[in-house]
Amino acid sequence: MSPLFFVFGPVLLAGVMMLWGRKENSVAKYTALAVFTAMLLFSLSLLAALPSEGYMDIGSYFAVKRFDFILSLQVDHLSVVMLILTSVLLILVTLSSWTMKNPKYYFSLLILFSGPIFGVFMSTNLLWFFIFWELTLVPMYFLVGIWGAEGRIYAAVKFFLYTHVASMLILLAFFLIHKETGVFDMTLVKETMLSTPVLVWWLLFIGFAVKMPIFPFHTWLPDAHVQAPAPISVLLAGVLLKMGAYAMIRMVILMLPEQSQHFAWVILVLGLVTLFYAGFMALYETHLKKMVAYSSISHMGLVTVAIATVSYAGLSAALYEMIGHALIISPLFLIAGFLHSRTGSWQMKEMGGLMQKAPYLSALFVLAGLAALGLPGTMGFIGELSILIAAIAQYGAGLIVLALGSMIGAGYIIWTFRRVVYGEKSVLVEKSDFRMHKVEFAALVVFALCIVGFGLFPSVLFHTINAAFNMLLSQGGAL
Amino acid sequence: MISLFSLLFVASLLSLLLHRTKLLQPFTLAVLLAGLLLSGTAVGLNGFGTSEAMTLFTIVMLIVLMAFALHEKSDTTMTQMLFLSTASVALLQSQTMLAFIVSFEAVSLISIVLVSHIETKAQAEGAVKMFIAGAIATGMLLLGAVFYLMGGGLLDAKLTSHGSLFSQMGVYVMLFAVFYKLTIVPMHGWAADTYALVRHSHAALLTGVAKTVVALAAFKLFAPFLVHSIAFSVPLLVVLAVVTMTLGNFMALHQKKLARILAYSSIAHAGYMLLAYAAVKSGYASTGLLYMAIAYIFMQTAVFLVLDTLRKKYDMQTLEDLKGLAKGDGILAFFFTVQLFSLAGIPLLAGFLGKAVVFYAVVDAGLWYVALIALLNSALSVGYYAWIVKHLYFDESRVSNSFKTPEKLNIISQLILLGGTLYFGIFASMVFAVGNGL
Repeated sequence: MSPLFFVFGPVLLAGVMMLWGRKENSVAKYTALAVFTAMLLFSLSLLAALPSEGYMDIGSYFAVKRFDFILSLQVDHLSVVMLILTSVLLILVTLSSWTMKNPKYYFSLLILFSGPIFGVFMSTNLLWFFIFWELTLVPMYFLVGIWGAEGRIYAAVKFFLYTHVASMLILLAFFLIHKETGVFDMTLVKETMLSTPVLVWWLLFIGFAVKMPIFPFHTWLPDAHVQAPAPISVLLAGVLLKMGAYAMIRMVILMLPEQSQHFAWVILVLGLVTLFYAGFMALYETHLKKMVAYSSISHMGLVTVAIATVSYAGLSAALYEMIGHALIISPLFLIAGFLHSRTGSWQMKEMGGLMQKAPYLSALFVLAGLAALGLPGTMGFIGELSILIAAIAQYGAGLIVLALGSMIGAGYIIWTFRRVVYGEKSVLVEKSDFRMHKVEFAALVVFALCIVGFGLFPSVLFHTINAAFNMLLSQGGAL
Repeated sequence: MISLFSLLFVASLLSLLLHRTKLLQPFTLAVLLAGLLLSGTAVGLNGFGTSEAMTLFTIVMLIVLMAFALHEKSDTTMTQMLFLSTASVALLQSQTMLAFIVSFEAVSLISIVLVSHIETKAQAEGAVKMFIAGAIATGMLLLGAVFYLMGGGLLDAKLTSHGSLFSQMGVYVMLFAVFYKLTIVPMHGWAADTYALVRHSHAALLTGVAKTVVALAAFKLFAPFLVHSIAFSVPLLVVLAVVTMTLGNFMALHQKKLARILAYSSIAHAGYMLLAYAAVKSGYASTGLLYMAIAYIFMQTAVFLVLDTLRKKYDMQTLEDLKGLAKGDGILAFFFTVQLFSLAGIPLLAGFLGKAVVFYAVVDAGLWYVALIALLNSALSVGYYAWIVKHLYFDESRVSNSFKTPEKLNIISQLILLGGTLYFGIFASMVFAVGNGL
């Protein structure tokens, strides 16, 4: 099947779904599930067909040769891993949104989101990459703005504007690259670019740093995360932030290696600051979802440090941690959102004693929390350990400070357990009803299984992940 | 020989006979449809000639006017629209100075007649402002032409740089006259009022059609001159463009009335178009301007026609009125939203590629910092477009509104415009194929 089908198909389908059909139609969620399952199968078929190294061409369309404005779709291991992660998360998000109000529009927007995000990971033309990158904003704007919590409008508009401004920097960098090289093809930029202008590197770095987000460009995220409905927070953390990290790896580190090595210290320092700043913020928060949001940013700081190593081991670790983070933070967001929907409160101190009222839910929360602080046997441990090893190998033993980040993580997670899961049963918990729809609960269980499964057998993932950076090995493990 | 020009001209005159009959709308549509077949034909007079780029734009314009004809109910407006299209075809094909002046004046005059269809005090104010601005522009254009002639220029030839101070001065005076029509700051004051005060369907023709036609024709005429005097013209044009887009966007952010927001957005877009003039030495400037004009004519006509429907059906004029429209009239809100996003430069819509190619031309001309300002301006503009969309979708509806079922013709009209915005948002090859030969 033509890959275009998976890029533009969802967009068209979403348009049709929005304009036709009854409002309270539950067909929408089954359609969404079918579309995302098809996307997962497509991604898996791509994985099976990939060559051991380099790109696989899957088609070019709408060629405007004069401007090198060609929708060329090529995938390698890095992009296919992202495609699989994205489609798995989309399926789980659909399951987690099973009882969402106004399902027709909600699932139409989810489908509308899925097309461009596939385009982002498949397009190797910078301009088309940008088109898809920007397009993901639109459904997100509506999903946060319509289904969000009390401050949803402020959060949605801030999210849209903030990330859009960052995108403008990215577009300018792409234009400068084209002026210099005459191509928009990211696979050719490295060879054709004689000298990388410093300006291009900074424009791209800041542009993608906003999306990841890296301190001090992170301020849009706590608002968006907190106000978004829980499944959309999952998409933000699991897909949108990963899109930023993917772009940082592909278009900053791999496409502009010389400047990246030159400025690796900038990435490293900002990564460390992000890790600790967000960690302390999480420690300080009494708002449950904000705590999870800052924990998410803190983990992205860890990914940033891994990216800053600019090495084979570091990038592989970064990719593993990206997947781990997506799978670990998602159930935390979902449970936080669920607790708010049932108790009407965000404050942790009002939720004590959850374990006595909802033991299964609490168990999943504890498992995800422990994975977030890096308990051995979970994905969190493997991710943090491999990043620690890669960072120390590259920058020396001083980077042992990363372990301190994990300790802060342990601090806020365990304290959260104390406040929410254990302790005396609060009045609010006592009178609330914590029965969850079984489809939504099933989604949480799948997350938990993945966290433990890939934590115990990381080699299953590393086998594919390492292949993404094989080309670095032939250069001696570094760029 | 039958040419598009003569067809439209004869049809404009004949349409007068069909007033107060039901035949006018089908007649107009048939004429525009027939016009599509003749879109490549030349006016046939001295000083006029076709080019592939202009033919493409003429086709686009005829399609947009068809959408307009489907929407419009007033007989006089329909006839004036046909006259405007006749003059626009002439202006698009003008190649010499004389041809440009004559057809530019024709477009101006018809625009003034168009807005003279006055029913309220506010419309009178808008019309008078436009009349005065138009008169000043005419005077300046002729003054500039006189200077140009005194400096050794020829009327019946293409514009060239003669080196003499008089002729150069003349060209700049003429440029400023054109900038009146293009609503470049500081010649923009009339536009903010006129676009907001006159009937919205008239404003659709003024900002959507007349402005783009003038921008393209003037670029064709003045570009060879501008290339020769880059040292002076580029800084001047850059400053004017940056001031125009920045002022337009900031003013739009502060408005409460929808028409005013879109009027200032139109001024900001004039700034983007002027960037193509500033980037004249780049090979992408003319393609960029053509792309922007095509995108702009679709989206700007569409949003003003939506405003027209909103005012007529629900008497909605301010942002506050708009609250919750999506729940009551989802289809209208959908059309409005897509076109607003296109104006904001969101991808897969024509507005994005229009801006992108112009901004690329600016980078290509070595002015990356100007492109950065323009890009940030474009991001700023998302503020008010997204704010309108916020009122449409996120806010609760006013209780008093009773929503009506949308009219079929309006939907078809908006579908045509939406089709254009989507088509040129994805398929760029057609514009790039002809864009260099404006």
